[in-house]
Amino acid sequence: MKLNSIRQREQLTGWLLSLPALIIFILVFAYPIGRAFWLSLFTENLGTQLEPIFTGLENYARMFGDGRFWNSLGNTAIFTFFSLLLELLFGIIIALVLDQQFRARGIVRTIGILPWALPTAVMGLAWEWIFNDQYGVVNDILRGLGIIDSGITWLGDPTRAMFALILADVWKTTPFIAVILLAGLQAIPQDLYEARSIDGATPIQNFFTITLPLIAPQMIIALLFRFAQAFGIFELVTVMTGGGPAGSTETVSLYIYDTVMRYLDFGYGAALIVITFLILIIAVAIAGFILSKTDVNVTGEQ
Amino acid sequence: MMRLQETVKSFFRGISIRKKLKPLIVFLATVISIPLLIVAVQSQQPVTVKVLIQALEAAQLEPIVKDFEAENPDINLEIVEAPNDTNKVEDLYTSAFLLGESPYDLVYMDIVWTPKFAAAGWLKDLSDRVSQEELDQFLDGDVNGGMYDGGLYRMPFRSDAGMLYYRSDWLKDAGYEPPETFSELMKISQALQEEGYTDWGYVWQGKQYEGLSAMFVEILEGFDAFWVNPETLEVGLDQPNAIEAVKFLRSTIEENVSPPGVTTYSEEPTRRLFQNGETAFLRNWPYVYGLASESDIAGKFAIKPMPHAPKGSNGACQGGWGMGIAKNTDHPEEAWRVVKYFSQAKTQKKYALQTGYVPSRRELFNDSELVEKYSYLPELLNVIENAVLRPPIAQYSQASDILQRYLSAAIAGTMEPEKAMNAAARETRTLLKRSQS
Amino acid sequence: MTIAQNKASSETASQPQPPNLPKRKIALGFGIAFVVIFCLAPALWQVLTSFKVNDAIATVPNVYLPNPDQLTFDHYINLFNRRPFLLYILNSLFVAATATLIALATGAPAAYALARLRIPGEKVLVAIVLIVTLFPYVLLFLGLFEVVKALNLGNNYLALIIPYAGKNLPLTILVLRTFFQQLPKELEDSAKIDGYNTVQMLVRIVLPMTVPALVTTGILAFIFAWNEFIFALTFVTKESMKTIPVATAQIGGSSIFEIPYGPIAAATVAGTIPLVLVVLFFQRRIVQGLTAGAVKG
Repeated sequence: MKLNSIRQREQLTGWLLSLPALIIFILVFAYPIGRAFWLSLFTENLGTQLEPIFTGLENYARMFGDGRFWNSLGNTAIFTFFSLLLELLFGIIIALVLDQQFRARGIVRTIGILPWALPTAVMGLAWEWIFNDQYGVVNDILRGLGIIDSGITWLGDPTRAMFALILADVWKTTPFIAVILLAGLQAIPQDLYEARSIDGATPIQNFFTITLPLIAPQMIIALLFRFAQAFGIFELVTVMTGGGPAGSTETVSLYIYDTVMRYLDFGYGAALIVITFLILIIAVAIAGFILSKTDVNVTGEQ
Repeated sequence: MMRLQETVKSFFRGISIRKKLKPLIVFLATVISIPLLIVAVQSQQPVTVKVLIQALEAAQLEPIVKDFEAENPDINLEIVEAPNDTNKVEDLYTSAFLLGESPYDLVYMDIVWTPKFAAAGWLKDLSDRVSQEELDQFLDGDVNGGMYDGGLYRMPFRSDAGMLYYRSDWLKDAGYEPPETFSELMKISQALQEEGYTDWGYVWQGKQYEGLSAMFVEILEGFDAFWVNPETLEVGLDQPNAIEAVKFLRSTIEENVSPPGVTTYSEEPTRRLFQNGETAFLRNWPYVYGLASESDIAGKFAIKPMPHAPKGSNGACQGGWGMGIAKNTDHPEEAWRVVKYFSQAKTQKKYALQTGYVPSRRELFNDSELVEKYSYLPELLNVIENAVLRPPIAQYSQASDILQRYLSAAIAGTMEPEKAMNAAARETRTLLKRSQS
Repeated sequence: MTIAQNKASSETASQPQPPNLPKRKIALGFGIAFVVIFCLAPALWQVLTSFKVNDAIATVPNVYLPNPDQLTFDHYINLFNRRPFLLYILNSLFVAATATLIALATGAPAAYALARLRIPGEKVLVAIVLIVTLFPYVLLFLGLFEVVKALNLGNNYLALIIPYAGKNLPLTILVLRTFFQQLPKELEDSAKIDGYNTVQMLVRIVLPMTVPALVTTGILAFIFAWNEFIFALTFVTKESMKTIPVATAQIGGSSIFEIPYGPIAAATVAGTIPLVLVVLFFQRRIVQGLTAGAVKG
């Protein structure tokens, strides 16, 4: 009896302690998402004098005939796929380097995480300048190497603009992947390598037979985080290309933002949010499923 | 028991919170307190009226603002600088108004924003403050562009209209009259190209942006087609005439009259081609006249209204900027004084003399001082009197973005004109259907 | 350059193969050079741009080593004279710092409750917290916009502080929960026997021990809040209240056809210096926080 009441008191304290966090959670996450689901059933735009009119699933039906939505979804997929691919590649390289012991490793590590810590919107402006068609340093270097004769437009050409965006994003977020993978590398017991070396394995063989499989969970986790971020990419695109030229770099989040803040098409914007949300949840479920199959007994730094 | 207590105590000593947290707390506390101090220091001033204007024009307006403040010492007219991309300015105003309390008392508006801002209820109706007589002094297109649903929400400041620039020297030399129809335009272009006067015949703005919609409105008018009927919200993009208009634009590229790059040009690249003598005809805005008059082709070119197909009439797309008053401003009277000051003849004349922008008051087009400096003004009046509005509907920017996407695909040849216009019409109808419900 | 005994090189050491060692050294050297150039070059180019006169900025070929007469402080002077740039920095500092404090103050108790007090449905709660970490800002801004309007918080620092605190809560809770779980439970038991109630024990005993974790998560929260763009763009429209990322992105030029790269570069540098300092001082903590947050999740 007494034990029970202690437990009850403990639970009550637990809830009280969580209450402030809970309120913020509801305000910042639960309500906005729930509200988007609800609002997506209404038409609320300039045509309705911004009054909500219940139209059921009409917003979702409209999405099927909306070429711009599919276009932006495609752009987002391309951006996400290539960013993640390159980030993983560079991330592994950087993690392997940072895992070595050498003098000034602390400084190199600091440099290594710097891009991640800088504001994306601000560094997007820096990249815009780097890819400037007249005075940009990329063109200057290419000219210096004799690859091109005159400056080429980067951000004014659909394919090259997408390339520039991906490169800027890779620069910005590879450090994040590298740091996570580094933790994985450091958790690998050294004797594994030693045992293999006695069998005469080369470092490259070791990398594929030991290192890669053992950091697979970290890779999946890092990729999941990055997938969510890349899929919702907004500021980099807004700042560098604004979705142009001709919508060739417009991502879903840009389209959502325009629909709501520019067209004041709130109901439709909400429907777009809901679809994006569902895509994310599915991705999380898939990643979660894969992770549950692997042995995720990862301990962090502590 | 005792042992455990000892452990706790020694743990405490070892960790010493104060030492570790202190720098962080000091840092955070300092940081938090500074802005509070700054806010406290700010004091009361004469009535400040704020308006957001793109940085370039904000700089040009400085003398006007100075004059205004000298005449109205009780008002402090503050211009907040915005980025030069007009879309971004529109977005800044939009988010400011959506949030409720707008930080701006005045709204400096492009003509196509007015319906949206008015429909959203962000602007004050000015019709009670201005008489019809007063309004008659302005160009019709500029006044109509400021109307929405029977109310007046924007007073015209400077006007703008699209027109045809042509190389009068070449035409005279080769023995041609300036073209009245699209087919004449094509014929003369090709002839001049063959005779070696120029590489290209006609350049226009084909990039996917608002300028494309503006240009297309003129071609539509020329083919007696329409985009959206603002009264009935009927969409005309998939009607035969409209498709013909698209095919005409496409044909200028296919028949080598326009360079293929035209599908990526905005105003500036086309102006440069014209000034460099690489094209005989150019569709552009009045600002080109002043710049071209200072270039190598000075005196060798002239302007006229856009040509048209036999069944249509010559169209000039109405542009221009004006001022409205934010609905929730605390200083409507002061704001109105600013609007009045900007719309009066004296101000417009001074601004036109200073910048070369086109005034919106009819009388100024024949003002001797202005004509002396800008000899084309009387001609321009002809063009601008017939200017057509882009559809004055609340969802204009959305409709325009739809058109730009498909029109751009059609002229670039990635989509058949019929297919593109059918898709554009369908999406526009879906969009506008909602507004009738 | 010493290649000390790490896992990778220890294996080579066990099989004496002298020619292998320089190869490794060279590879490592290249690797380090790659990391440094890859990470620093774009930022340094911006720093260089910010100190060049306009003529040296807009010129072909680019000026990599400017002469003294091509250098200037003008862009910085303009930045602080023509616009309230100092105010932007203070806004960013204030908003980020306050949001960080709120995230810690609300996140720590919740994390403790999830770690120690057996709340029913704890696993589900943790899973929700985890998923929420992944939400991009764009999913939230429409609903938040309505909250901001309903509470009349437009153009109020709270319109940024609360969402930033919220965005940082999941990470804070996840990281701190792990720390709490690793604390020896006997400490709390003995504290209880000595008559502390839960809150007292939390404040007097548990919290002091988690200071390192608080600092770690606090720094991450600060960086996130400083860098946030979309909420700052949407919920604050008053010029005097803008934060660094938005204010920098909205710098306009005095000519329509050119973007003012000099002032933008200066704004980039001035607006990111605080972050560079944070990274310099807290590099280890950031790495710890990131891995703890992600891997634990």
